[in-house]
Amino acid sequence: MLEIVNLHASIDNKVILNGINLKINPGEVHAIMGPNGSGKSTLSNVIAGHDGYDIISGDILFDGESVLNFPPEKRAHLGLFLSFQYPVEIPGITVSNFIRTALNEIRKAKGEESLGASPMLKLMREKMKVLEMDKGFLSRSLNEGFSGGEKKRNEIFQMAMLEPKMAILDETDSGLDIDALRVVANGVNALRSDRNAFIVITHYQRLLDYIIPDFVHVLFNGKIVKSGGKELAIELEKRGYDWIKKEQK
Amino acid sequence: MRLRRKLFIVSDNDKIIDEVTSSDYKYGFSTEIDSDTIEPGLSEDVIRQISLKKDEPQWMTDWRLDAYKVWKEMDEPDWANVSYSKPDFQNISYYSAVKKKQYDSLDEVDPELLKTFEKLGISLDEQKRLSGVAMDIVVDSVSVATTFKKTLKEKGIIFCSMSEAIKEHPELVKKHLGTVIPKSDNYYAALNSAVFTDGSFCYIPNGVRCPMELSTYFRINEAGTGQFERTLLIADKGSYVSYLEGCTAPQRDENQLHAAVVELIAMDDSEIKYSTVQNWFPGDSNGKGGVFNFVTKRGICETQAKISWTQVETGSAVTWKYPSCILKGDNSIGEFYSVALTNNFQQADTGTKMLHLGSNTKSTIISKGISAGKSHNSYRGLVRMGPRAKNARNFSQCDSLLMGDKCGAHTFPYIEVKNSTAKTEHEATTSKIGEDQIFYCQQRGLNPEAAIALIVNGYCKDVLNQLPMEFAVEAQKLLAISLEGSVG
Amino acid sequence: MKDRLSAFYWLNETQFAQASSEQITSQRRSAIEKFEIEGFPSVRDEEWKYTSLKKLITPDYLFPSPFVPLDQEEQIDFNDIKQFLVNDIDCYQVVFINGRYSSWLSETTHTNYDICTLGSAWKKYPEVVESYFNKLTKDDGPLVQLNTGLAWEGLYINVPKNTIVDKPIQVLYISTGDTPVFNQTRSLIILSEGSSAEIIERHHSLTNHETWTNAVDELHIGSNAKIHWVKLQHDSSNASLTQHSKIHQEKDSTAIVHTISTGGKLIRNNLDFSLTGKGAEARMFGLSLGSDRQLVDHHTRVDHIAPNCSSHEAYKGIYDESSRGVFNGKIYVHIDAQKTQAYQQNNNLILSEKATVDTKPQLEIFADDVKCSHGCTIGQLDEDALFYLRARGIRNKEAKALLMLAFANDAIADIQHPSLRVKLSQLIGRKLGVDMSNAL
Repeated sequence: MLEIVNLHASIDNKVILNGINLKINPGEVHAIMGPNGSGKSTLSNVIAGHDGYDIISGDILFDGESVLNFPPEKRAHLGLFLSFQYPVEIPGITVSNFIRTALNEIRKAKGEESLGASPMLKLMREKMKVLEMDKGFLSRSLNEGFSGGEKKRNEIFQMAMLEPKMAILDETDSGLDIDALRVVANGVNALRSDRNAFIVITHYQRLLDYIIPDFVHVLFNGKIVKSGGKELAIELEKRGYDWIKKEQK
Repeated sequence: MRLRRKLFIVSDNDKIIDEVTSSDYKYGFSTEIDSDTIEPGLSEDVIRQISLKKDEPQWMTDWRLDAYKVWKEMDEPDWANVSYSKPDFQNISYYSAVKKKQYDSLDEVDPELLKTFEKLGISLDEQKRLSGVAMDIVVDSVSVATTFKKTLKEKGIIFCSMSEAIKEHPELVKKHLGTVIPKSDNYYAALNSAVFTDGSFCYIPNGVRCPMELSTYFRINEAGTGQFERTLLIADKGSYVSYLEGCTAPQRDENQLHAAVVELIAMDDSEIKYSTVQNWFPGDSNGKGGVFNFVTKRGICETQAKISWTQVETGSAVTWKYPSCILKGDNSIGEFYSVALTNNFQQADTGTKMLHLGSNTKSTIISKGISAGKSHNSYRGLVRMGPRAKNARNFSQCDSLLMGDKCGAHTFPYIEVKNSTAKTEHEATTSKIGEDQIFYCQQRGLNPEAAIALIVNGYCKDVLNQLPMEFAVEAQKLLAISLEGSVG
Repeated sequence: MKDRLSAFYWLNETQFAQASSEQITSQRRSAIEKFEIEGFPSVRDEEWKYTSLKKLITPDYLFPSPFVPLDQEEQIDFNDIKQFLVNDIDCYQVVFINGRYSSWLSETTHTNYDICTLGSAWKKYPEVVESYFNKLTKDDGPLVQLNTGLAWEGLYINVPKNTIVDKPIQVLYISTGDTPVFNQTRSLIILSEGSSAEIIERHHSLTNHETWTNAVDELHIGSNAKIHWVKLQHDSSNASLTQHSKIHQEKDSTAIVHTISTGGKLIRNNLDFSLTGKGAEARMFGLSLGSDRQLVDHHTRVDHIAPNCSSHEAYKGIYDESSRGVFNGKIYVHIDAQKTQAYQQNNNLILSEKATVDTKPQLEIFADDVKCSHGCTIGQLDEDALFYLRARGIRNKEAKALLMLAFANDAIADIQHPSLRVKLSQLIGRKLGVDMSNAL
């Protein structure tokens, strides 16, 4: 589904991604772990098409097609979703208005009819129930004045609404207490199927107790330096990142 | 004005931009209608002719001539933060009437004109049936039709063209005309007083709540004409009215002059809501043509009365407009909500004056300026707490949003406090549209233009919320269209 | 008065010309000609809308000639001026009496840097003076032109590269004599790359007659240099001051200016910054305590010319009795000044029925990637807070003073010098009629 081939990327002439190779098939959940500054957020931004980075070499293929020259919205239309580490506040735009706009843009791109107001509302209510969200949420301004937990829940809510093929969760666990973490993980698990895939970017193993990954990769200095099964995450939790750093030296 | 459903889907009190179709000025067609136009130029004779053509009483002719004398002595003001080549007042035709007036029913209206309205999306019939908006339509200064008159008549509400009011209700006109904005108020108000050809007149009697939105639609059609409409709105004690005003003009290479005067009188305990969506032709993307919009709007509030101005200004090459409130009566309230968007070479210098005279008077100013392209957008405002304005309060928020590095945003608030119990608060911010916001929207599938339209609409929400539903939708759409081509 | 001033110039022109270079003389002449054309500003002038000079220009002033030595009445000694200095700090001292330098009251230096009087610099450092004098003031209004034409004496500071002035510089301008007196003072301050200096400035009148000082300052702050300038405007009730200070800043320089206006009759401050090099920072603070029939007018302007500069402005005004406050702050972001950060705050308290405030905070912005904001409030002391303090046993007057001090805090927090803070709290305390010596 998603294939990253020898990807090198930089920002302000500083190389951040240094040859990433990663292949993700439908139905898989990949966890990417790594210490601060290893390039995790850069990787997710580059996949989503943020234009603040320069792609030096390599490619990103989505369903076999290179998406490097696609603007972010086109990647979204193809079914790529990024749950932001720091979701942006947009004053004056309600959550419901925003999701409705986004969903209908994606449907339009797929040549589907726009969804009317009442089926839309019904769908929102369903998804909110899974995520244990309050109805009042819909009429609040997008992310404005949201707590850290609310912002992350809102991201997962949008993911549930947009039903992407490939979702990248960038440190979705940061800022969540244990109950919120469980709710968010339940939301993600409810969406898992053999037709979609996930990349879970995290610092800690904690989230992976709830969202069980098929593969775990360790990102360090812009490179995947170690890959393995879920047991790798447990080892990392125990031993920290230092042994990886030492191995690299 | 009717919304074009093609552009927006309205539901659940939330509006979604579905599609933004054309990037050209949508109203840029001119209609071929048989017009009766006075030769260009301005003199006492021309004014007498206007008055004669309109079959006005002598007192009105004298009033106009008096204003003309005042105007001749005045100089065109130059303090606003705009630059333009000054209009040649001898090159403007001051009267252009659609021939064959006095319609008893819509059937008598020139079919070409009706087509114009259709193109604009206003079918008077449909308007009547569906929306319950009573409309007065002024094309090139002459009032064409006032719908819904009968329904209003039952309540004792007078809603008609200014010309009709001068004939039918001279006592009201004589008593109030020029009391809020005297002939000598400023250069363009004096000019308007001398040459105004039509406009709307409205009177809401004591204790009556006007059951529908009243609306006037202005359009400049004839080339080389100026539009000088005059609006007088009187809300008698304890009454309420919401009034809407919309403007368009066809696309023409030369600059057209629009110098209107609007006077509002809110008597004790009454309330007037006055909303404007101004979309005069802004000139093309090279700054050629466009309307000079030099407008004087002011209202006076008696005891416990309230005037609320809401404006969405997206059109005109040059705008120079300060809808103001004289808060004369104790406990009176003034409000000003404004969105001014400029793109390409547009220039807007707009804001308000809140003159607090009475005690416990309150005012609120919310201004959102958006500049794109090579345009310049200025907020200019005055809040004055007079010596008698005990416990008066003002809150002002003036925000500017910049798009692109060739435009300018300026804020010139004047705050004068002469009373020790008065309080004012003024806040202003200037920022650019957030790249991270655009990226976030893009990640969710919106293209950059849709993203900007969405963010801008969110930014303006506090103001758009003040507009009646239909106007709000129209305004949102206008914002989106006016911003086209500003991305990049 | 205009004619008398211009006559004064033409009568003295030969002397001006003899004592300075030709280039300077021609600048003086064209400045005085500009003043002759424009005359004193009136309230019809937008910049003087709220401040009328009408009463200020009526008295029959004496214009002290810079070329005539101080006469008997003007001779004063250290005891007369002691109270106007911050005494317990070691500092350089430059004292002027009626616009003329008083060597016996001053302590200047030429050792590592020049701290002396402009009057001696015309002859001594002609190249420096020629390359900096009137460079920032050419296009200013008539009062500045008048000063350029007539001013002779004032503070002269020239600090070479990477040199730090080891102690604060106190400058004191005294007006005295038995007639009304109109003084022109001028300072020229040059801080070269990487240098720094601290100035404490004060104007004071010792006479019961009307005095008016029309001051102009030009400050050139080189890259990485830093200036901290504190102006104490606590003059007597018949003394007026119009002061135009122009500060030109280069790359990564810092300028901090505090203007504390607690006395005087009419005070008009024009404080202009030009941020011409990347990373320059301007910080300006004002505290005005008005009473009686005082007028305190602050005009500030920050020109953000280079990108990545920041400006921070906090002006607080408290107006009692029949006093009047004016604030006019302009932030002007030029077309290439991306990444500008500009912050402006003006807060006012009106304490009496007759006091008034007019304020005009302005933003003019021609670059898009900027963060600019201004806020402005006019109001009264918070009654709830006052009640709270009184309920805790603090008497009304003290409670009010405390709240005012809290209100004023933003404007004086940046003054770190302990003795200066003590002096400041004394001035504020005296003004508010309470003992505040321990409050700051």
